[in-house]
Amino acid sequence: MKILKLPKGNLDFFASVVQQFGEVHAPVEQNGHFVFKRLARWSEARLNYDRTTIPPKKYFLPPRETLFRYRAGDGYKACSEAIDRRLVLFGVHACDIYGLNILDKVFTGRYVDPYYQSRRRNISIIGIDCSPDQHCFCRSMRADFVDHGFDLFFTDIGDYYLTLVGTARGDDMALATTSLFEPVTQEDIDRYKQSSLHKRQAFKLEVEIRDLPEIFEMEYQNEVWDELGERCLSCGSCSMVCPTCYCYDVSDSVELGSRSGSRVRNWDSCLFRTHAVVAGGENFRKNRAARIKHRYYHKQRGFVAEYGRPSCVGCGRCITACPVGINITQVIEQLRGVQNAQNA
Amino acid sequence: MAARMILMVDDDRDFVEAVSSYLESNGYRVVRAHDAAEGLKLAKMERPDLIIMDIMMKERTEGFFAVQELRRAPELEMIPVFVVTSLYTALGDFKVQPDGSWLAHDEFFTKPVRLPLFLEKIRKHIGDGAANQSANAGTRPL
Repeated sequence: MKILKLPKGNLDFFASVVQQFGEVHAPVEQNGHFVFKRLARWSEARLNYDRTTIPPKKYFLPPRETLFRYRAGDGYKACSEAIDRRLVLFGVHACDIYGLNILDKVFTGRYVDPYYQSRRRNISIIGIDCSPDQHCFCRSMRADFVDHGFDLFFTDIGDYYLTLVGTARGDDMALATTSLFEPVTQEDIDRYKQSSLHKRQAFKLEVEIRDLPEIFEMEYQNEVWDELGERCLSCGSCSMVCPTCYCYDVSDSVELGSRSGSRVRNWDSCLFRTHAVVAGGENFRKNRAARIKHRYYHKQRGFVAEYGRPSCVGCGRCITACPVGINITQVIEQLRGVQNAQNA
Repeated sequence: MAARMILMVDDDRDFVEAVSSYLESNGYRVVRAHDAAEGLKLAKMERPDLIIMDIMMKERTEGFFAVQELRRAPELEMIPVFVVTSLYTALGDFKVQPDGSWLAHDEFFTKPVRLPLFLEKIRKHIGDGAANQSANAGTRPL
């Protein structure tokens, strides 16, 4: 892996030049929150943000997208207008890149989703390191550092950003801006290690995920799930803000006259009452407790069995978004506590 | 015949006035803007025949983002863009390739501008100003 350093003073020029790789989108402040948005000027970017309300998955799996349009007699025509759009996502945190790597397993694994795959190909990722706040637990979820899934990754080492080049396109970006970068010295590497240590020590929230799938397996009937069902509003906020929730619903939007229409997919949530309704009207998860339990089991148990790790990246968005204060780390602690008490 | 319209975006008001006067004396109609946001707004409203864009305005990379914005707007993407900047003199080691590869401009000029050459390039891209009063033009670099 190529490693360079970029003087912080050159960042605006770097961002100007990388526009040749696509529209630059970065976190900007909006009503006291951060959102990924297209930059009209560099000063709009806020690279020292905590977390964006919606993760960058919105670029790869839009909240609503038309898959194809159809007309009687003409067959159907795939909608591909926006999937070739070249973008540069500037300032993506490690946990969110990890989230995209998890979505890759789902959408580019056994069954390839061409819409997702095309966007992943056309969107460049420039990552940036961050400092954890009171809701971050990405270190516990092993997502505080990524070694792939980005084109470039910047780490603040004082007056410079230490820059990891992750892909050939990242290398092209660095080559297009060669005069802005400098070679790395041993001193820079020491600063990087120092910065990494500071980050590690700054985590306030920690959860133990070792043997968690097994504990989930044992605690399927635990009363914790009923208590959560009492509190949960089934609003789906946690799913909407989650970087790895990928459930969607597909429906047809038929034009008047029923001769043409479009097939649309929208984000869905397993917390919605209708999520598990099947033909004939049967609903496998009628009550809220069953739905929230399903969400936890999918993230922390089922995904581990399928892909070898939980699908949670510890970004803390579900904690900040929940209107009734359900906190995943506390739920896990509660389960562990019950398990420990039962074992005692 | 209506005069060809040029939009000039530059925060240096004296420079804008001087160049505009020269271009107006050569038969062009010049619309003035003093930052990128105003320039983009006028570009969309007026649909000029050519845009002259400064780079370092309120922000030192403002013009870079404005040029990209122009290139992304389907109704504006074909309008020739001349970049006129003192960037080279301010940051000698930062290069913009004259062929417009990444910046997507059509012509690149460093200040001070040699007006006859500038006018020649404008004529090459959009033709003469309607009144064609080139005989009045001054030649001193601005």
